[in-house]
Parts: sequence; C-alpha cells; structure tokens
Amino acid sequence: MICLLCQTKKYESDTLLQVLGLKKVLERPICDDCNNQFAAIFTSCKGCGRHQGNNQLCTDCVRWQIDGKRLLQHRALYQYNDAMKLFMQRYKFYGEYAIRHVFNRKLKDLVKSRDTDMVVPIPVSYHTLMTRGFNQTIGLFENVRLTDLLVTIKSSKQRQSKFSRYDRLNREQFFMIENKTAVIGKDITLVDDVYTTGMTLYHAADILYQAGAKNVKSCSLAR
Amino acid sequence: MDRYYGRQIVVPKIDAITAGLKIRPCFINDVCQRCGQINHYILPNQQFYCKACFILGRVSSLDVMLSLPEPNHFSNQVELTWKGQLTKQQNRVSNALLKTFSKNGEHLVWAVTGAGKTEMMFPLIYMALKQSKRVAIVSPRVDVIVELAPRIQEAFMNTDLAVLYGDQNEAYQYTPLVLATTHQMLNFRAAFDLMIIDEVDSFPYAGNQMLEYGVEKARKQLSTLIYLTATPTKKLRKKSNAGLIATSYLPLRFHQNLLPEIVTKTINDWRKKLPTKCLKQLQTFYKNQQRFLIFVPKVADTKTLCKVIKSHIPEMKGDFVSASDDLRQEKVESMRQENIQYLVTTTILERGVTFPGIDVIIFGAEEDTFTENALVQIAGRVGRSKERPTGLVQAYVQHINFKILAAQRQIKSMNKKGRMLKNQL
Ligand SMILES: [Zn+2]
Ligand SMILES: [Zn+2]
Ligand SMILES: [Zn+2]
Repeated sequence: MICLLCQTKKYESDTLLQVLGLKKVLERPICDDCNNQFAAIFTSCKGCGRHQGNNQLCTDCVRWQIDGKRLLQHRALYQYNDAMKLFMQRYKFYGEYAIRHVFNRKLKDLVKSRDTDMVVPIPVSYHTLMTRGFNQTIGLFENVRLTDLLVTIKSSKQRQSKFSRYDRLNREQFFMIENKTAVIGKDITLVDDVYTTGMTLYHAADILYQAGAKNVKSCSLAR
Repeated sequence: MDRYYGRQIVVPKIDAITAGLKIRPCFINDVCQRCGQINHYILPNQQFYCKACFILGRVSSLDVMLSLPEPNHFSNQVELTWKGQLTKQQNRVSNALLKTFSKNGEHLVWAVTGAGKTEMMFPLIYMALKQSKRVAIVSPRVDVIVELAPRIQEAFMNTDLAVLYGDQNEAYQYTPLVLATTHQMLNFRAAFDLMIIDEVDSFPYAGNQMLEYGVEKARKQLSTLIYLTATPTKKLRKKSNAGLIATSYLPLRFHQNLLPEIVTKTINDWRKKLPTKCLKQLQTFYKNQQRFLIFVPKVADTKTLCKVIKSHIPEMKGDFVSASDDLRQEKVESMRQENIQYLVTTTILERGVTFPGIDVIIFGAEEDTFTENALVQIAGRVGRSKERPTGLVQAYVQHINFKILAAQRQIKSMNKKGRMLKNQL
C-alpha cells in the first residue's frame, strides 16, 4: 500500500485470515506515521464539539444560546492542530483532490451515528468551484448520501468582516435553499470541513429551520 | 510584466487577465502543456488536473497559461569576476564548447569527478552573457544547485542570478542567469539560448520524460545544450559513440591526478555485528584524525551504524544524514566546517558535495542501491584537493558482484586515458 499523504510505500504483512478472505481487510488509506499526527477529539463541548476536559457547554455555545440559537450539537473527528492545518492546506489551497479519501470512512461512520433523515453539505461559491474545482466538504463526505440543496449568494467571505456580530447574525445571509419543501419536518445533519466560529453552520441552520426543518445538527472533520 | 518573459504562469480562467499577455490552453489533446504528460486526476464536472507535475503547483482544465516571448532585455555589460586559470586540458574543452555555442549545437562534456567542470563553463557563460543571451544552468539535484550558487555568483558578481528550487521561497525575478533544478524548467517556455545540464545522468532526470520535455521546452528552438557528467547514461554514451553529439573527454582531475580506485574487502554481515576489520579501520581514522564519509545502502542503516560506531569509539565526533532529514543542510555544513569527523549517509551525498581530503567507506556495496555509476561517483568524493589528491575508497562487501567489477573497470579505463594524456603533456 502507498500512503495517500506521504506517498511512501509501506508494506503490511496480511494475516492468514485476510489472505484467505475470511476477514475483511481494513481500509487504511494512510500510514501509521501520518495517522499519528492527527489528534482525535474524545471529550468535547456538547454544543460545538470543541476538544475539552468535559462535555459542558463552552462560553461560545452559551453565547449562541443567548443569541437565541438552537445548538447544533456539533461533532468533529479531529482537533485543528498543525497536521490538520497542513492537510487542509494541501487539500483546499493546493487543490489536491486525491487526498479527500483519507477520512472518508471515518466521516461516514460519524454521520451514520447522528442518525438523521438527510445530510446537507455547506456549499462553496461559484468562484471557488471555478478555481479549486471542487467542494471540499462534498469530497470529504463523498461516500455519504448527500442532499446538496444549499447555494451561496454573492461573495459572502469579503462582506463578512464589514458587519457587526449582530448584523452578521441577523441581516447577512450566506446561503439560499434551492428546494424548500424537501426539508419540511426533516431531521438534518449539516456537514462542513472545519468548524471555526460556527457562524457558517448556524447560518445554514437558520435557513433550514426557516424552511421548516424539524431539527438540525452538524458535524465536520475538524474543530 | 517581465516576470512573464519566457515563462508559463498558470492562472484560473475565471480570473481577470492583464491585457497583452499571450494566453495558452493548459491541455491540448489531453496533453499537459507544462510537462508533456497525460496523467489526469479527475475533478467533478468533467474537469481534471495533471498528476504528473502536481508538485510544481496544480495545473487543471480550469486554468490557462500566461506568457510573453523572451525579449532578451539584458545589458551586455558583463564582467567575468573569476580570476582563476584553466589548465591546458580544461582550456581545450572550454574552446570546444565555444565552438559548439557558435553553431547552436549540443555538446557532451564527459569529465571525471573533480575535473573542474564548473570553471570550464565560465568562458562559455561569459560569451553568452556578453551577447545578451539568457543562460540556464540546471541540475536534477538540489544539493548541486545549492553548492553551485555561490560559485556562479562569485564568477559573475555584477550579473543578476536567480536561484530556483523546490522549497525556497525567494520570489521569481527576470534575470539573464538562472540556476535551477530541472523541475523548475517546466515553468519556462522558449526562454534560454544556452542550457547547461549538470549531472545529467542523475536521479530524477535520467529517463524521466517529463523533465526531459521540460528542459527541451524551456530552451529556444535555436539554442545550445551542454551536458555535463562524470558517468553518462548508456543512451548518451551511444549518442556520443555514434558521433551524434560533440564530445569532450576529460579523464584527469584538475590537479592532474587520477581517480582513486575502489578497494574491496570481504566481511561478514555488518548489520549484525561490526566486523573487526572495519573497526580497526575506523580506529585508524580516529588516531590519524582522518575525516571520512560512510555510505550505506538504506536510510535505516545510517542511524544504526552511526550508533554502533559511537558505542565503539565514543570520542570520535560524527553524525548521520539521509534525504528525508530535516537537518540535512545543517549536518552537511557541520561536516564541511570540520565540526565532525565523519558522516554516515546514503547515496544522497554520492555527488555534488565536496569535502576536501576525505576518505570513503562503503558498506554493502553489492546491494542494489549502489549502481555502477553511483559507485564511480562515490569514489569521486575522494582526492578532491591539491593537498591530498588521493585517498582510500574502501568497499566492504559480503560478496563481489558484476556491478562492482564494472565500476572498478570504469575507473580503470578512465585512468588509462588519463595516464595517456599525462604522458602527452
Ligand atoms: Zn504516510
Ligand atoms: Zn461549545
Ligand atoms: Zn503536467
């Protein structure tokens, strides 16, 4: 097997059971050395999935509650450490689409554990699609059945900074929903690549709730 | 705008493009226009990117390439600030090169390691720069580029030199003189009037279609191409023997001495236990303060062998280094500065790097990592200074094989030519 990340050849001696096909060979797209660089999240804030010593709500999440939001009960696989930053840089900035497979299986398991009716990815802008050529979130969750019904409006990224927190929460909208009736009464999992401030996901959730979604949770690769 | 001269700069189709630039598609009939390969990685929406040259930054079907024709906007006020003297044989080669240059030809310089190849190029480079030509000196190996940079700059102190290789962040600038890895040539298009490829037989250039394409594309249709090597590939040797390429042969080192020959000694499995013969040799090195390199077949061997040596002779200062080592440059520098007496290394130090006055030991010379040419190159590490023009090249083997004999024969045949030349002088 050749490691997807460091491209070096690693030989694994298959056990006899695997050779005989009696035991399913585990899918392992990266080597142990690379895998050990990532820091998994074990206990975390029950609101945003932030890595911490207990599962109490963190101050950010308390603030979201004060702002009147229903918490997303976000879950992420990994902390946003140096290795994850580097991964995201290769994947998004250098556009190395091939490495989207690294976490496919684990992310599929994560989404499965949320047990909702529908999984909706955060969309990317037209400009990103025409330069990077792919939606990074859809790539990460490739083997999950996704309902891609959000679209971006305008270049929200640049405008974000011009508004106060209140404005950003209440006036500016990043997304539009393409098929509103599809979400009525549904339990939805929103998926994204990284949860940073939560702003993006809460916006998407607002729109889904407005369209009649029953419940919206979220997950991502990193937090 | 001058950063587009003779270049190919990849930008997204959707981005605004400065007026006046020549726009080219990145793929024609599926062939990547940067590297000449068809090796697609599929993106959504029927788009794709080139996997072959991804390391230089992604080229995809969503991009275009921008360039401007090379205008040779250079001053001809050039000064050769190198004040050394070429030996008689070096001069002969240098003159042959000038002749090839006047005809926009191709030329192979087949010179033993330590013949002073770089100096022989100076008159040629000077001639080219004086005619406002653009010159590239390229090598497949970063080490070679790093070592050459100060020497080239010193020889042409008043000429702008761009040094381009993988992970160095210096922004590109338009210069008459470019020193770069062969990989970097993929970013150029019809830019160079004179292209000199140093260590043309070494990894990863030799037999690499992408890099050969890159170098061809980077030079102008009418231009001169010079190959420098101590150990030409079979392909080049054939071309030379058939008279298809002008060839200069330099069998003597700059100090007029011959290459040291490889001495073999049979030992038991050195990975299990350091044989007494070897230990004695190392102790002699320590006693005489003789500096040396140890070559081993595998990266893993570097650390273990270094540890074993330290357990036997803890007072002798040394280190180990391999290609993936983050401190590679520092360790090599520390050897150069004589802070340590020895380095245990893989074939990465087989060429390009010079430590005057060292001896060399090769463990497992019979193993596959050491090719015939690699062994010849390793022998060439020894006897690099006038003060100590010879030295020991000791290969420890568990058995002799054909490859080792071929390397010994190659050195002997060069030395035979060298002796003949010496007699003529
Ligand atoms: Zn790896
Ligand atoms: Zn929280
Ligand atoms: Zn390419």
